[in-house]
Amino acid sequence: MVILMSIWDKFKKKNEDWKVLLKQSTDYQSTYYINKKTNNRFGFHFFSTLIDEQIIQESALPPLLNEEFKTLDDIKKIVPIADVQILEDTTKIEEKLLNGYVMITMDSDKKKYAFVAAQKEIVRSLSQPEIEFSVIGPKEAFVESIGQNLNLIRKRLPIKELISQEFTVGELSKTRVAVLHIEGLTNKENVDTVKQRLENIKIDSISDSSYIVELLSDNSNSLFPQLLDTERPDRVAAILAEGKIAIIVDGSPHVLIAPTTLIEFFSAFEDYFLNWIIASFFRLVRVFAVFFSILVTPIYVAALTYHFELVPADLLGTLVTSRRAIPLPPILEALFLELTIELLREAGARLPTKVGQTIGIVGGIVIGTASVEAGLTSNVLLIFVALGALASFTTPVYKMSNTIRVLRFPFLLFAQIWGMLGIVFCFCILTAHLLRLTSLGRPFLAPIYPLRIKDMKDSVIRSPLQNMSRRPSVLRTQNPYRFNSKKAKHNKDIDE
Amino acid sequence: MDSHVVPETSKVSPFLLFYIIISIQIGVGVLGYQRVIAEHAGYDGWISILITGIAVHIVMWMMFKMAETTDGDIIKVHQYVIGNIAGKIISFLLIIYFMLYILVILLNYIQVIQIWMFPDLSTFWYTLAFMALCTYVVFGGFRTVVGVSFFGMVLPAYLLITLVFTFRYSNFTQILPILDHSLIDLLTASYHMSLTFVGFEIILFVYPFIKEPQKSKKWAHLAVLVTTLFYTFLAILTFAYFSEGQLQKTVWATLSMWQIVQLPFVERFEYIAVANWNLIILPNICLSLWVASRLIKRTIHLKQRKGTVIIAAIIPLITLLFKTGEQVQKLSEITQKITFGFVFVYIPLLFIATMIAKRVKKQ
Repeated sequence: MVILMSIWDKFKKKNEDWKVLLKQSTDYQSTYYINKKTNNRFGFHFFSTLIDEQIIQESALPPLLNEEFKTLDDIKKIVPIADVQILEDTTKIEEKLLNGYVMITMDSDKKKYAFVAAQKEIVRSLSQPEIEFSVIGPKEAFVESIGQNLNLIRKRLPIKELISQEFTVGELSKTRVAVLHIEGLTNKENVDTVKQRLENIKIDSISDSSYIVELLSDNSNSLFPQLLDTERPDRVAAILAEGKIAIIVDGSPHVLIAPTTLIEFFSAFEDYFLNWIIASFFRLVRVFAVFFSILVTPIYVAALTYHFELVPADLLGTLVTSRRAIPLPPILEALFLELTIELLREAGARLPTKVGQTIGIVGGIVIGTASVEAGLTSNVLLIFVALGALASFTTPVYKMSNTIRVLRFPFLLFAQIWGMLGIVFCFCILTAHLLRLTSLGRPFLAPIYPLRIKDMKDSVIRSPLQNMSRRPSVLRTQNPYRFNSKKAKHNKDIDE
Repeated sequence: MDSHVVPETSKVSPFLLFYIIISIQIGVGVLGYQRVIAEHAGYDGWISILITGIAVHIVMWMMFKMAETTDGDIIKVHQYVIGNIAGKIISFLLIIYFMLYILVILLNYIQVIQIWMFPDLSTFWYTLAFMALCTYVVFGGFRTVVGVSFFGMVLPAYLLITLVFTFRYSNFTQILPILDHSLIDLLTASYHMSLTFVGFEIILFVYPFIKEPQKSKKWAHLAVLVTTLFYTFLAILTFAYFSEGQLQKTVWATLSMWQIVQLPFVERFEYIAVANWNLIILPNICLSLWVASRLIKRTIHLKQRKGTVIIAAIIPLITLLFKTGEQVQKLSEITQKITFGFVFVYIPLLFIATMIAKRVKKQ
């Protein structure tokens, strides 16, 4: 009994608490009105900043003032708003008020509370995708509102099988997170893993979907992002159809895609809008760019520090001439230039666009030429570093391009210690790490390892859409076929 | 939990045995086996390679038969034949066998590096770094180890293409006349070839980790066929490129052949080849380390993580004992005898014993 009493006390106290706390906020308002017909007094309680006052003024208040109603239950009949709830549970009051509901109380009916939805949605208008811009194709990008984003996706997949399940993450931020998948297509195990992990998240506040990326990742200590984030609704619709899962986080214009593979980070969505040969060529260029960007300076350092013999005589002549007056060893020279590029990138990213451009020009031209003229770096290395930086920016996904920029530093270090041997050794570490990585428990390196020849159709190359009749086998979807390839258009024989 | 029950999630597809076997067979031996066989069988050496290849197929058939009979790895075979305790003691000795394997590969490879690229490379530090990398791989589980074997085979495959450069300077009539050496010569060369071929005995250890192991048989045999043909092809190419007298003075024939490769931006291609050999060595060491640590787990029930760390820590310390090339040479010779004894003598004997035990148990 004593325990029960104490719980009751606590409950009561808590009950009082919320009123006291709410009244501290200046934007919490309570106003009372009297119905003209019955002379019943009723009150409106709400956060003026969370609700749309127009809805109350135009839809809720006039019928309540002018039409006859005796109990709170009658409100449902006379107020022309769909979302009206009558509750007796006092614990829900706080949550409802903070979600933009107006609470209506009546002096004659003190046990019940009516809640009328009057949320004010401040939505940014749709804009063009900035990071994943494409010349051809849709120009819509996600915004910060979960409702708006869901709308963009549902418009593209108007089927009842598209399921959206909502979670609340963050003890303080109460961020809404929606998990989307297509029922009967997406692997159930994957969906369950995502739900499980979302439920297990213990954190106070979520500011962006990047938080969710880190919290959902299989290995959060990895340099590599294990969930793909995109700002393109068309891309999300396409991957949902492929059998993957999309995660929308309220307040973030980036929707997450899981599970993902390494190759996916190097495919721009524009690839699907171009002719397949051209798209495949671009993809190959990007893959080449990655290797070039990571390896070019380390190879320069290794060759000039240890393996002069590796370089043919003619080329060595050019290298030696450009390095003749340089007092620094190759590693310092390389680090100096790499850091300069990093500084330029970082300064450019922190400054407003217009100033940033100026910095780019000043940095690129002035510092580059000046450091060569001052005899700090060689011309050849300057070209390599600049090309390497350029190559790293060809990666379509921003987070991955950051990873590639960082990756070259361990390679540089190993190149200095063991030359070519160190570069290959570092490459071994990288391979081992990538092999160990998983995204929602699915191998990150698929379809290269485990080797799935059929999945290769959409990896380093993009084959024609008609040929991609199967969904990626690594996802273990419930329906492995996208469409019936036999019924699809097939080539006629000669003279048919 | 019973330590020999393998969860379904850590098993791999049967065709992956193809990569496992190829990647563990091809190691440092490839860099210079041609001289050794030519020493005994002259330019008929390629026939010896084929003989060894056939012997390997036979032993492999025996191993599969044993594994099927007991439905498990070599420890189960031992228990089946000679009982629990004695079986475990012999299995424990195999840990040393695999450690020796790791040691010989690493020491030989580092010797190649020291001779060709870095005379002052520290054996200890390089071994330590390499073992740390392998520990990282083994910690990822068997699937990661197999993944490394896959990449260890696929990525360096381009090196093979570069050997095309030697064609212009090759004279294939040098291998004629065929069969001008006695059978004894050929068999001696085959014996010396065996060190380059071993590694495939790993089947007896990874067998429980393969889904539907019945289907893996054809992949295993295909793998041995591929390596046999690869060795033969490379040997013929070498014999056509070098004259017999020149080959006797070339310790690392394969590497010397790469010296002829010339690209507009690379002069000494063998540097790249030696550095790339890292990728070929990696699966060798990772698989051996995995097997050794698994053996520790199976025999003395120490956690595989601990076992891996212990072995990875011991190996660099042992390398401190080897200071000269002759010592490494000596170790390699001893290892050759041991591996030959294990693969071509012990395993056939064990096979016979298993078959007898099977008969006896049936009755």
